[in-house]
Amino acid sequence: MQINPSAKHKLIRNSVRHFAETELAPIAAEIDRNAAFPLNVIAKMKKLNYFGLQVPKEFGGAAMDSISAAIVMEENSRVCAAVGLCVAVHNGVAVYPFLQFATPEQKKHYLPKLASGEIIGAFSLTEANAGSDSASVETTAVKKNHEYILNGTKIFVTNGGVCDLALIFALTNTDQTRLQSSVFIVESCFSGFLRGELEDLCGMRANPVSSLFLEDCRVPEKNLLGKLGDGMKIGMTTLDNGRIGVAAQALGIAQGAFEAAVKYAKERQQFKKPIASLQTIQNYIADMATEIAAARLLLYQACSLKDEGAPFGCEAAMAKLYCSQIASKVTSMAVQIHGGYGYSKEYDVERYFRDAKVTEIYEGTSEIQRLVIARSVLSQLTF
Amino acid sequence: MLNLVVCLKQVPMVTELPWDEKTGTLRRDLAAGMMNPACKHALEAALQIKEKFSAKITAITMGPPASEEVLREALALGADEGILICDKLLAGSDTYVTSLILTAAIKRECPKFDLILCGAYTADSETAQVGPQLAEELDLPAAAYVEKLEIHGRILRVRRLVDNFRETLEMEFPALVTVSMENYKPRYTELMGLEKAFVENDVIVLGAAALGINASLFKNKGSRTKVRKVFLRKAQKENVILQGTASAVVTEFLNKYQRKISTAIGKSIEEKKLNDEE
Repeated sequence: MQINPSAKHKLIRNSVRHFAETELAPIAAEIDRNAAFPLNVIAKMKKLNYFGLQVPKEFGGAAMDSISAAIVMEENSRVCAAVGLCVAVHNGVAVYPFLQFATPEQKKHYLPKLASGEIIGAFSLTEANAGSDSASVETTAVKKNHEYILNGTKIFVTNGGVCDLALIFALTNTDQTRLQSSVFIVESCFSGFLRGELEDLCGMRANPVSSLFLEDCRVPEKNLLGKLGDGMKIGMTTLDNGRIGVAAQALGIAQGAFEAAVKYAKERQQFKKPIASLQTIQNYIADMATEIAAARLLLYQACSLKDEGAPFGCEAAMAKLYCSQIASKVTSMAVQIHGGYGYSKEYDVERYFRDAKVTEIYEGTSEIQRLVIARSVLSQLTF
Repeated sequence: MLNLVVCLKQVPMVTELPWDEKTGTLRRDLAAGMMNPACKHALEAALQIKEKFSAKITAITMGPPASEEVLREALALGADEGILICDKLLAGSDTYVTSLILTAAIKRECPKFDLILCGAYTADSETAQVGPQLAEELDLPAAAYVEKLEIHGRILRVRRLVDNFRETLEMEFPALVTVSMENYKPRYTELMGLEKAFVENDVIVLGAAALGINASLFKNKGSRTKVRKVFLRKAQKENVILQGTASAVVTEFLNKYQRKISTAIGKSIEEKKLNDEE
């Protein structure tokens, strides 16, 4: 594993940072306030391959390695986490399962459109009674001739309000002794696909998170992803990858808040000197810098393993757990360094503070990450 | 097919300009580098020519090993070839020696060029000399501070802004232009291009020996200028308090700062004021 960033990774970071600071920074506070999805900027990102980060070139993607892809998500989230989330979810949990499980026909049909951003993807597992307990989905898919008829309600779907395609997890066998779920590629134009109102959330407000209703939604048989009954396998594999994306978002949020805090600490005068000269503030800044550096290494380790084709689920869970925890901590400290101003919408750190929290919750709560890590560790040790 | 050469320079990021107070030169090792903004505009002009006509773009830079970054960026944006002139013996060269070295590199690597594009000036030293000096050494027709280029066969027509008037000049290829930051807004880098720039392209690295550079130019010896002193210009802020009725304050404000406001917003406010009075 390469510890120091390569020339390529440096250039990718600089290029994405330049784009984010030019296009996203001026609107980040406003789209958060108005809960508005920035379609104009998203259109520019589509042209620059942000929606096909790891899609092979033959399908029109950028064919990036995993560290590069993580850097892209990190740098977007450093400036505007809600847009970073859109890109991370599309690439991490909507496109990735196609790369892993789709048939050649499905790849040929969907990947070029996903990579160009012509269609935006969503991943839809969570239901009212199925969160951490993902096996308890109640949405059903019943086969009828050459179609599956889907019924159920999905909630908290990231990109839900704008997605053109959602991967829907549904039960294909409801026999209580042999519950079995499968994944379906559902286009928003299919009959019986309905969107709920946008959620009014604490953070990530510019991302159109919504419910999805499936009311006798008719899905062609050929839109089954993977094999019948593969739901759990596809879900877990996809979430392993998605966690790299969440870790990258959390790290980007922490980095953004950290830089804002350092800048403020150098400018803000109290006791006739910049507060950065006070040891207490210096201690805060030292802790924040150290934790961000450690989080970054943990994240890139998971990325490296993924690129080597080695198992990376445990490391991705560690990266997700740690990056999201330090994101919450660092953003909170950034607010603290800003004092009263940090609690005001006049400064960006309160937005970072709100955005960070959900990274400890979605795509597996911190508690579930610990479960994943503990299982992996305990299965390797004998007592 | 047109053969275009773009000369690029890596400069320190404007936010970080550490210099050595003893020698009066920039501590380039400490600052993160970026492609000089005007050079980026010159590259954009070349890319637009390439889109319109068939063209090959060779990007050349001279500097320490880290300068390769700007060549990779150029390749990512659409240049076809990158050449890095890198040799410790050439460190500290002034604009004159730099133009001699670039001349040697261009004669060796792309002798059949049609057009050389440089940034009009650099963000670090702002001499605006290398482009014109290079034209002199290569004995080329040249125009500096160009804001628009048009190509008609072998004729290059350029528009430039000098001393508050615009002039249009024509010259025949091969030629050299230095591009200002007026037009040719640089495009964003496609992620696909970034990946390609490292996987599919190589950068050619040339030292002084390969270029046959005369040893009398080494280690700053051939340079005709020397930086004697670098100092921080002290800017001082002064608060001005205007007093009186609202209309008197506004009138005084406009009278006093009209020119500054016009410069800041990019248009004259005099006309607007007259209309309001009507």
